[in-house]
Amino acid sequence: MEALLNTGSTIDEGRLAKGGNKYSEDYKLECAVCWMCAEDYASLGCPDKVAVTSRDGRYTIAVYSKVTESVRSGHVFIPRSIWANVVVEPDTFSTGSPRYKGSPVMVEPTNEEVLSAEEIVLKLYMGGE
Amino acid sequence: MVFKNIICPVCGGSCDDIQVELKDGKIDVQNACKMGNAKFQEVVSHHRILKPTIRENGKVKDVSWDEALEMAADILVNSKRPLFFLGSETSCEAQEVGLHMAEYLGGLADSNATICHGPTVMGIQESGMVGATAGQAKNRADMIVYWGVNALESMPRHMSKYGVFPRGYWTKRGRFDRTMVTVDPRVTPTAVASDLHLQLNPNSDYELLSALFTILNGREPHPSVEEITGIPISVMKQTVEMMKESNYVSIYVGLGVSSSYGKHRNIEIALNFVKEMNNYTKCNIGALRGHCNVAGFNQIASYLYGYPFGLDFGKGYPRYNPGEYTTVDVLREKDVDAAFVMSADLVNHIPADSAKYLAEIPMICLDIAPCPSTTAADVVLPGVIDAMECDGTFYRLDNVPVYFEPFTDSPFPETKSNEDTLKQLFAKIKAKKEA
Amino acid sequence: MADVILKPIGNFDLTVEAEDITPDNFAGKSADEIRKILIWQAPAQFPISDFFTVEGNGGSSAEDTTIIVDGNVPRVKRIGEKMTAGKIVIKGSAGMHVGSAMTGGEIIVEGDAESWAGMEMKGGSIHIKGNAKDHIGCAYRGSWKGMSGGRITIEGNAVNQIGGGLIGGEIIINGNVENFCGIRISGGLIVVKGNAFRTVGAEMTGGTIVVGGCIERFNPGFEMTAIESDLKFNDIECPGEYKKFAGDYAIPQKGKGILYVSCDNNECL
Repeated sequence: MEALLNTGSTIDEGRLAKGGNKYSEDYKLECAVCWMCAEDYASLGCPDKVAVTSRDGRYTIAVYSKVTESVRSGHVFIPRSIWANVVVEPDTFSTGSPRYKGSPVMVEPTNEEVLSAEEIVLKLYMGGE
Repeated sequence: MVFKNIICPVCGGSCDDIQVELKDGKIDVQNACKMGNAKFQEVVSHHRILKPTIRENGKVKDVSWDEALEMAADILVNSKRPLFFLGSETSCEAQEVGLHMAEYLGGLADSNATICHGPTVMGIQESGMVGATAGQAKNRADMIVYWGVNALESMPRHMSKYGVFPRGYWTKRGRFDRTMVTVDPRVTPTAVASDLHLQLNPNSDYELLSALFTILNGREPHPSVEEITGIPISVMKQTVEMMKESNYVSIYVGLGVSSSYGKHRNIEIALNFVKEMNNYTKCNIGALRGHCNVAGFNQIASYLYGYPFGLDFGKGYPRYNPGEYTTVDVLREKDVDAAFVMSADLVNHIPADSAKYLAEIPMICLDIAPCPSTTAADVVLPGVIDAMECDGTFYRLDNVPVYFEPFTDSPFPETKSNEDTLKQLFAKIKAKKEA
Repeated sequence: MADVILKPIGNFDLTVEAEDITPDNFAGKSADEIRKILIWQAPAQFPISDFFTVEGNGGSSAEDTTIIVDGNVPRVKRIGEKMTAGKIVIKGSAGMHVGSAMTGGEIIVEGDAESWAGMEMKGGSIHIKGNAKDHIGCAYRGSWKGMSGGRITIEGNAVNQIGGGLIGGEIIINGNVENFCGIRISGGLIVVKGNAFRTVGAEMTGGTIVVGGCIERFNPGFEMTAIESDLKFNDIECPGEYKKFAGDYAIPQKGKGILYVSCDNNECL
């Protein structure tokens, strides 16, 4: 499914990040979550987890899915975090600021494991070091 | 002992009424929000970074402060073009030392604004701003617009302290004297709490602002704007009328405006709209700044070097061009070869291409708790918590400077504050460079 | 005409700023003298010979000098900045700011151009045979006046903020543009033969924009005034029928900007 990715703060994302708990299970359960409307969730086959892929196909990230009434069909939301930023478009349109709001992504069901923030850094960014 | 009127070092709200009691290894916090309370717990937390570390042959090991500072200085002195990312969760005083280091080494200096309200700052530069302090808005505003911002979750006390609920001099009945409008593509808790929610399509802020402006100028917007924004023209007209009929409109913009595409152009037209609205009523605009001192870097960089963020000192004098000298771009284009990251979790908050390169180059990270940036760093320097363990200055969301005082001391005999750590590092850099 | 051939040999790990690569600066210099000209990389200066082999001497004046960059130089910025005469041919892609603030002469980029090509240029011509990125012919940050004379031709696509603040001169794009093409222009001409995504002519107070393809998201502050066919601006011809709009009424001006939009490709407007 093609979608526009919106990212932003949630109060618990803020509480866990400011409290220095980015490597906690709670942080993963709060932030590694893709919010979508019931209609989109059903059209994907009601998956527990989804793979969100950047439009250029270069990066993909597995996150839990969550049904919400707060977004419209075709729009998904992931709390501001490393999971979301893996697939945020890096082009800044010559402003310095990447597209944290409204990045085009693909969302598909997946059985891949949801990585912790630390695992993402080690596996994805540091080449498995 | 109970300490009163402590400044909260979390978001741009810089709440100045926090009460803390520190005893028996525990901290009791009053008045702070969930985020604020979590940060105050860091003073006694078990995961606090207490020892400097370096990465040697892929292994992380504890070292003395002096060894860590030596290695940090070596990395920076040997770099051809270092990036100084001077994060916003520390004082202006520390940021100032960082700026001077960047100038001394001919590197780049940037701060959280670059991945936050940078486009807002660019928009202000393009068209000027009708601003007000938070207190003005609290006492006068009878219409509040949260545009692209979920204030309840990103600045939890904004609505109760300044925006919606407080009883002001001319808004004595608090919430009952105010109309609250939210513009957001999501039905956020803030949107639920408002009187009117404009649920626009993502990336259509510019078109919506442009249509509102066209209506304000007495013209009919092109009908295609309804499909583009998802908002009926009748609702746009109603919104403009509501604004004109108010005594004082206060608009707060968030990343929804500055980060969706349109970026500084969204802000620019919003600022021009506000200017024009002042022909009908009093109207001001301000940004809800996410981190406690994200406004501060813009202020001091502007008065020291003329530009608010994304500064390049390559030619010995400051230059500015977002997209060319800004963090995400120089990392994506591999145009720096070392980085110093202070009080900001940069690896967590930038897109994968940039984060990957940042993890690849030598990086020094100064922080208080383990996070993706400290994991990827080659040198980790423990941070001192501003407003708890040392004094200094923050700039609040409305660019009002706030001096803060500590209620306890730095846990490290080697340093009093992040400013102190940076001064020690700068001294080592100068000694190596001049040797 | 004297040709100076620069062949890139590497060392572009960090980007290079080469505002000294102009016919003005090469004129009257031998190949050996040109090799010693210093260009910037990060906070240090290095001779041109660290990055390029140099063949041929400069001409007696800028007019007589042609510089041929024989390769891809996407990480070399500011080639031809402020040049007044002569010619530069880049046989590959060029870095940022190529030909910015130039006042005369000719630049040909055979590959792609990065952002800020022809920023605030006053005269001369830039011909980009590939694609271009953002801010082509645009005003500098915070300035309200962009390109004021000369011509930029782009054979491929361009991205955002093309011709921002244009006050004169012409920009012709054979391909597509995305956001904010012709933002805040007050003069000059922009012709987009392909499609535009959104916000074409935003906040314009004068000047002319022609879009031959489809505008996906039309800017709300424009009003249709007429239908005209077979437009001609000196040597630039735009055949077919066009809807003529005035604007941008989103800003408190008199709507003196003119936006022509192809009838065939924009039936719904």
